[in-house]
Amino acid sequence: MIKSQTRLTWVLIAILALLSLSPVIMLLIGSFSKGLVQIGDFTLDKYKAVYGDVSFYGVLGDTCVFVLCSALFSTVLALFLAYLNNRTDIPGKFLFKVISVVPMMIPHVLFAVSWGLLLNPSNGILNLIFKDVFRMSHSPMNIYSIGGMILVEGRLDLPIAYLIISPAMASFDVSLEESSRVSGAGNIKTLLRITLPLLRPAILAALILCIVRCLASFAVPSVLGMPANITVLATYIYKITTTGLIPDYGKAAATGMCILVLSISLIYVYRYLTRSSEKFITVSSRGFKPVVVKLKGARIPLFIILLILLFVLIILPVLVLLYTSLVPYSMVPSAKAFSMMNLNHWKSVFTDSISLVSLKNSLFLSLVGATLGTILSVFVSYVIVKVKTRSAGVLESLSFLSFSFPGIVIAIGFMWLFVRTPLYATIWALLIGYIATYLPYGIRPMTSAFIQIHSHLEESSKVCGASFLTTVKRIIVPLLVSGIVSGWVLMATMFFRELSLSVVLSRPGTETLAVMILKFSDDGLWGKLSALGIIMIAISTLMVVSANLIGNRFKPASD
Amino acid sequence: MLFAAGGQEVKSESKTLEDKVTMYASITGIEPVIETFNSESGITAEVTRLSTANFVSTVLTEFAAGKLQADVLQAPLPVLEILKDQGVIKDYVSPIGETYPEWTRNNGGIYQFGIEYVALIYNTELVKAEDVPKRYEDICDPKWKGKIVMANPASHATTISWLVGLKENNVFGSEENWYAFLEGLAANSPMFVKSFGPTPAPIESGEMLIGISMPKYIITKAPAPLGWAHVEQPLFGSPRAIAITADSPHPNAAEAFMEFWLSDKTTGILSEQVGEYVLTPGVYPPIEGIKDADVRPIRDLSDEEIISWGAKFEKIFAAK
Repeated sequence: MIKSQTRLTWVLIAILALLSLSPVIMLLIGSFSKGLVQIGDFTLDKYKAVYGDVSFYGVLGDTCVFVLCSALFSTVLALFLAYLNNRTDIPGKFLFKVISVVPMMIPHVLFAVSWGLLLNPSNGILNLIFKDVFRMSHSPMNIYSIGGMILVEGRLDLPIAYLIISPAMASFDVSLEESSRVSGAGNIKTLLRITLPLLRPAILAALILCIVRCLASFAVPSVLGMPANITVLATYIYKITTTGLIPDYGKAAATGMCILVLSISLIYVYRYLTRSSEKFITVSSRGFKPVVVKLKGARIPLFIILLILLFVLIILPVLVLLYTSLVPYSMVPSAKAFSMMNLNHWKSVFTDSISLVSLKNSLFLSLVGATLGTILSVFVSYVIVKVKTRSAGVLESLSFLSFSFPGIVIAIGFMWLFVRTPLYATIWALLIGYIATYLPYGIRPMTSAFIQIHSHLEESSKVCGASFLTTVKRIIVPLLVSGIVSGWVLMATMFFRELSLSVVLSRPGTETLAVMILKFSDDGLWGKLSALGIIMIAISTLMVVSANLIGNRFKPASD
Repeated sequence: MLFAAGGQEVKSESKTLEDKVTMYASITGIEPVIETFNSESGITAEVTRLSTANFVSTVLTEFAAGKLQADVLQAPLPVLEILKDQGVIKDYVSPIGETYPEWTRNNGGIYQFGIEYVALIYNTELVKAEDVPKRYEDICDPKWKGKIVMANPASHATTISWLVGLKENNVFGSEENWYAFLEGLAANSPMFVKSFGPTPAPIESGEMLIGISMPKYIITKAPAPLGWAHVEQPLFGSPRAIAITADSPHPNAAEAFMEFWLSDKTTGILSEQVGEYVLTPGVYPPIEGIKDADVRPIRDLSDEEIISWGAKFEKIFAAK
């Protein structure tokens, strides 16, 4: 058994090294090379230029505030929502699915633009309403600020945190909480002393994934930070790659290396903090069913808070998109705007042949890519959690490598890699790039679910004569359904709207929807952009609902 | 094939044409041209849009690996000149290109066909006629504070070149006046966006009232309430150019496409439907007053100059 686990570990390390390490090596070579293209004479000039620049450290400071606050905001909100959904008798539970999943389907650039329309200080719709209602002389809120960036980025990353914390919250051993209550602790004390500490791996996983994602986030800093002259690492790198006619990607890669070091350090911190994973096991062979906490008098007020969140997080930005897709140009809502509404943007999107090719490609990449990525994630997560060797740690770090870089940089690494292979300019290059880069979306929910499954279950299976694969199929996968569905949904929706890699790797015939989104954005065609965005949200919703329905069929009976 | 150029018919050499041609282009909104070419030639033209910033690196990476997909390249002139120096451009003599003014066809295989002209664009419903700037420096008036949108002058190559172009063409009479213009503009705290593309939206919606942008949006964003300020000074912009790649996978189709692109029909479409300022004599975009505007190309800045000026502008605008 140990032999087969070791073999599996090394096979997975080989696969991930190929997928994830190769583009990073290309970038590393590029960061130490002179010249325009990737390989040139050795130089340290690019590192000296980046890290010797005093302004870089100011950027680093702003980045820390932006990233930490956004990730904390997402994680705390996700924890709150996951607890309400899984552990209480709050009404309207289907709303949690909507709140947790829909922001993930909205292309981030559109979400940021929507909030710009709602809260810009000149004529943001909400600001106008507040000014009118409270008779203010100035707009009370300015979305073009670090606070505005945190608010929007935090909401965008909420699904990542929720889809990691919620499955862990759902598969919870009642006996630990019951013991707490029997010992005289109330609901709040049990939550703080028992529930949350036991969820530490999931909470840390969510926080770290959100931090890594925020570090690489570009849409919010570019749409909301740039107008206010707020620069974070991602926009700093963007500036390096766009200033001048011959951008220095080696310098961008040198900057990206500090993000890589930060991300890898975070993974080791996470491994250190969850090193005694047995402490967090809550699903053993004794059966489990989470107890439902009665909210009593807090039930309705909390439900109202949920509705407000739903309105602010989902309904408002989607309404802005819908409105923008119907008016002929960017207009503040007015009688004139409503009288000019038409379906022209929708018609032009549906009759555009490249948009239709993009839709086909994005669907393929999303469905096939997420399925392959999920299968790989199951094996990688298994090794990371259950085979606690040094090589398992290497595997975990490898899985984060590509993901740790801002998309704009890793995409160049992939271009430098694929252009030396027959895969260049094919849909397969995109598929491999997507899986390699976004593998943590599949691995994180599954590792936090794996951590909670006791090895007694596998051992019992083996004692009964089952092979490793049979154990995986009959025991592990059914108990992991929530994690698998979360991972698949995260990957599928991410692949459906992926932009950074697609823009660099797409060529005629391999365009994706996000490439079209960027094209419309570059042309300033917000109406078409919004129409396409709504189509993407609708298709993503269909994928998510289908994944959940299929997942429910494979879940073990809870009684 | 027969094409009309400059009002006369020009015959291109008859060759067996491949069934497709691939173009890498930085220009936006060219779908009408591509549709017309596809329907008239029977060749399928495919376009990949590359931003000016990514153009050189993408093309050179593919070229170095022997995998350049493009047959035809369209980009600002300095970009194509860099690529020519690297051996990417074919020294092609275009029969139609040769009918263009002398200064547009100066360098082996690269043909200029338009100017990426820049102007002050404003919201015609929210800016009173008497407030519309009559000179560039009018935008430094404090009444425009917090009401201006522009592409980031620290990184957007075209904006950097435009600002330097104003100095080099002595638009303000002296370098001191040019600096005063920059400082006045910076003092009005303009909102920065990535490039020209996102500049019209905040003007249309009234979030901003005026911006440094392109008059072509008056056509492509119609019926948005956009107008251009008819300043007394000339309008400036980077020359737009086109060329065939040296190792074009579809060389004959590429030549046919190039001839079509430079023909009167295409420049007419670019002008009428895309709002482009083309170099075909007598052809103007249907924008009020553009026919009488003095539109001039600016000098190509080198990469080093763009980076250096970008850093200077960053300091000026950061100190606002």
